[in-house]
Amino acid sequence: MPATASGGARPEEAAEAASAPAASCMGTRPEELTARLAASGPAAPGAGRGGSGAGAGAGGEEAEHERVRALREIKNQIIGNRTKKLLYLRLGAVPAVVAALAEPGASPAALVQAAAAAGSFACGVDDGARAVLAAGAVGHLTRLLAHHDEKVVDASARALRMIYQSKLAPKFDVNNGKNMDFVLSLLNSENENVTELAATIISHSCENSSEQLSLCSAGVLQKLVSLFGGSMNLRDACLDSVTAVIRNNREVASRFASTDHGKGFRSVVGLIHDRSPRTRLLSCLCLIALGHASPCHFLDKQIKTKLIMVLLELIEEPGQVGDEAPLALTTLIKDSLELQKQALTTNAVEKLSNHLLANSLESRRAVTILLALSELCSKLEESRSQLMSVEASTLILEGLKHDWADIRVAACSCLKNISRSPKVLSGGRLSCDTVIGPLVQLLYDSSTSVQVAALGAICNIAVNLTPKKSVLLHSGVVSQLVHLSKSMDPTLRLKSVWALRNIMFLLSPKDKDFIVKELTLSTLSSLICDSEHFVQEQTLALVHNLVDGYVDSANYVIGEDGMVMDAIARQLNNASAPGVCIQGMFVLANIAAGNEMNKEAVMNVLLPHRADRVKPSFVVNFLQSKDKQLRVATLWCLLNLIYPKCEASSGRVVRLQNAGVIIQVKSMINDPCLDCKLRVRMVLEHCVDNADDCFM
Amino acid sequence: MFLSRIVLRDLDSIDSPVSMASSKKVVTRDEWERKLRDVKIRKEDMNRLVMNFLVTEGFVDVAEKFRIESGTQPEIDLATITDRMEVKKAVQSGNVQEAIEKINDLNPTILDTNPQLYFHLQQQKLIELIRAGKISEALEFAQEELAPRGEENQTFLEEIEKTVALLVFEDIKNCPYGELLDVSQRLKTASEVNAAILTSQSHEKDPKLPSLLKMLLWTQNQLDEKAAYPRINDLTTAELQDPSI
Repeated sequence: MPATASGGARPEEAAEAASAPAASCMGTRPEELTARLAASGPAAPGAGRGGSGAGAGAGGEEAEHERVRALREIKNQIIGNRTKKLLYLRLGAVPAVVAALAEPGASPAALVQAAAAAGSFACGVDDGARAVLAAGAVGHLTRLLAHHDEKVVDASARALRMIYQSKLAPKFDVNNGKNMDFVLSLLNSENENVTELAATIISHSCENSSEQLSLCSAGVLQKLVSLFGGSMNLRDACLDSVTAVIRNNREVASRFASTDHGKGFRSVVGLIHDRSPRTRLLSCLCLIALGHASPCHFLDKQIKTKLIMVLLELIEEPGQVGDEAPLALTTLIKDSLELQKQALTTNAVEKLSNHLLANSLESRRAVTILLALSELCSKLEESRSQLMSVEASTLILEGLKHDWADIRVAACSCLKNISRSPKVLSGGRLSCDTVIGPLVQLLYDSSTSVQVAALGAICNIAVNLTPKKSVLLHSGVVSQLVHLSKSMDPTLRLKSVWALRNIMFLLSPKDKDFIVKELTLSTLSSLICDSEHFVQEQTLALVHNLVDGYVDSANYVIGEDGMVMDAIARQLNNASAPGVCIQGMFVLANIAAGNEMNKEAVMNVLLPHRADRVKPSFVVNFLQSKDKQLRVATLWCLLNLIYPKCEASSGRVVRLQNAGVIIQVKSMINDPCLDCKLRVRMVLEHCVDNADDCFM
Repeated sequence: MFLSRIVLRDLDSIDSPVSMASSKKVVTRDEWERKLRDVKIRKEDMNRLVMNFLVTEGFVDVAEKFRIESGTQPEIDLATITDRMEVKKAVQSGNVQEAIEKINDLNPTILDTNPQLYFHLQQQKLIELIRAGKISEALEFAQEELAPRGEENQTFLEEIEKTVALLVFEDIKNCPYGELLDVSQRLKTASEVNAAILTSQSHEKDPKLPSLLKMLLWTQNQLDEKAAYPRINDLTTAELQDPSI
């Protein structure tokens, strides 16, 4: 009868508990305990045996007792207590605890206590995990998994699980045949603590596709699925492992979905309706990973709709499950217009907003809900207008001023995606002081991720075409953006230049002048030559918007000793990234649309007056580029240079002809890109016109 | 779960005539009892529900008797119930340190992976010290053990402040945070401990029977809008009451 059998084991624990007060009399200060443990360590019993023969047995027993007591006391002090763990670490207790695991004659009681203490040291404190690993605990504990006493096996498996949950634990190389056999033997164990350990090792150790493939080929996935029938905790651990093995691996995912006529897949689907909320969440995560890894095996729309519903329900759950459910939803609907539409039809925006309103902003859940709302608004106009219409939008604005950086980031992310809507923007609801003010404040935030998130929102709001643009312009935003464009952080430079570019879009000459004065032409020039090509590209796009529309604005580029023009020329001659060249050519094309002086300035960049013509002009290279946008931009520039028909234009045609540019254009008469083909013909027509002009 | 499904199925079958007529459908006692007789509930399922209740609530002796008499196997080893009840009892009688040590013996990962529970136990320990009038010990404990937890977590900090506030008042029973000294606080902590141990044993932390009764009440309320039928009003007797028309 099992009840009596385990009942019989109890007096032993009772005796242990009874001895606890005695231990406390002997002093429980960490310093004393560590010293006592070290003294009763491997050397002590040996010394005892070396002494008088008669007292040795009793002395050894007494020493062992003493050690169990010290280990148990340390264990009870450190479990759950970070401060104590750090204190014992400093006192060097970890090697002594791990040494107790290594001792050949150690009693099961000592092993159980030492294993528990070692596991606890590895939990939640990186230094603890490091110390436990350095002391060689993994080897000793692994060996103890074969111990004859079941309690020792349980304790060792638990401790190893704690260790393998730390990111510091070394990966278990499953590509090594011996190791794979070991994992399989653990998976086949009768002891659930051991099988759970196997699942934890698998989750921890499979990161690259070859490891995933090895595990899959060894039949690990089927084994894990068969363990779904075990206890709740084991099932959850196995679900997590299945997810780890199939994540981002198309081949493994499709094998999993098709093996045994999709039995494993169906088992996971069955679990999304399990009684345990955690199991529901984990099975959703597993299916989401499967869908991302192998979309062709997961086309069933019904299941996807169910996933959305289950996840929305899970948000109601207390604790971690409810906190993580919105993140799972975010991953599920990310980049999928279809799923975002489905989520909208299940009232996702409303449900999430209601949760946000019902709970305080002071929680991880608020962060994840805001991120899910943000994702819902990334593509769908209707989600955006729904979110703007509920009270939650007020809460989002409150979020901008929240103490917690994660909330500020999530609120900015929401605003960024809402402001993708031309409707919301032209309604002007986001370009008022109540939104702009806090957003601009966030540009001064101490956290870089908050600054980046705020820049994202400002970028979108800045596109606004209504007269309210001046609210943004005169909110002090420009000077801070200029400041951030000189930051050491490349992302901050990129985003701040991007925001300036969007603000510059279709601005009046007066406002453009305001920005240029803040920015200065020398900063502009150095940003064009930034170390990162994405910053260069964005800066050239900013210049593009600057010179767009008004002829006079070209003076910023060619004036002041042509500092900006020189920078552009340098980038084009250095044949930078295609994006940089494209934006550079658009800038030149815009300037070339201006007066004679402008056209000549562009000509001098394209074909500098130099004696040595060793290097052919970059224009020819650009025309030969595989990137059609670069070809189009270059052709536009040429077109503007030789238009309208006049003497100066004819002169430029001749110069272009001499540099081999026109021959190159002629060879493009059948360009595969229609836009290019059209511009090629226009360029050639103008050449002929100008040539006639010349001859007449 | 199955009980409610049965009732819901009945709800479906009477749904359509109601939607056509504006008045409620009336189901007589005879008709209702006939329907109920048609529903087959396995004795074993009922027994399992009872066993689930006894195990979850920790009535180990009753569960053992019930096992022998009904032949129903409990979902978990009955010995673990005894361990769990000892922990619970320790908290209920204010022996928090003893409870912590017992939990760690049962499964050392519980308190390491459940910071909130660990904090509540530490808080309870402080409350017990204050109750016993060990003021200097309480202060030392609050400073050395609880203060670091407050630095890690804002909610914990607020709770610590409330608890330490007990030290300021002469008449602590009647001070604003006096409820912390109440038995209910011990029970709250004890039930949190109970739930955590159950979860660590892969067992649901709430028995199924009460949620089944909640579902029964919910279903009756739903049905009330559509039909008049013999209702169970007193859950302790489960007697059918004729509809009042």
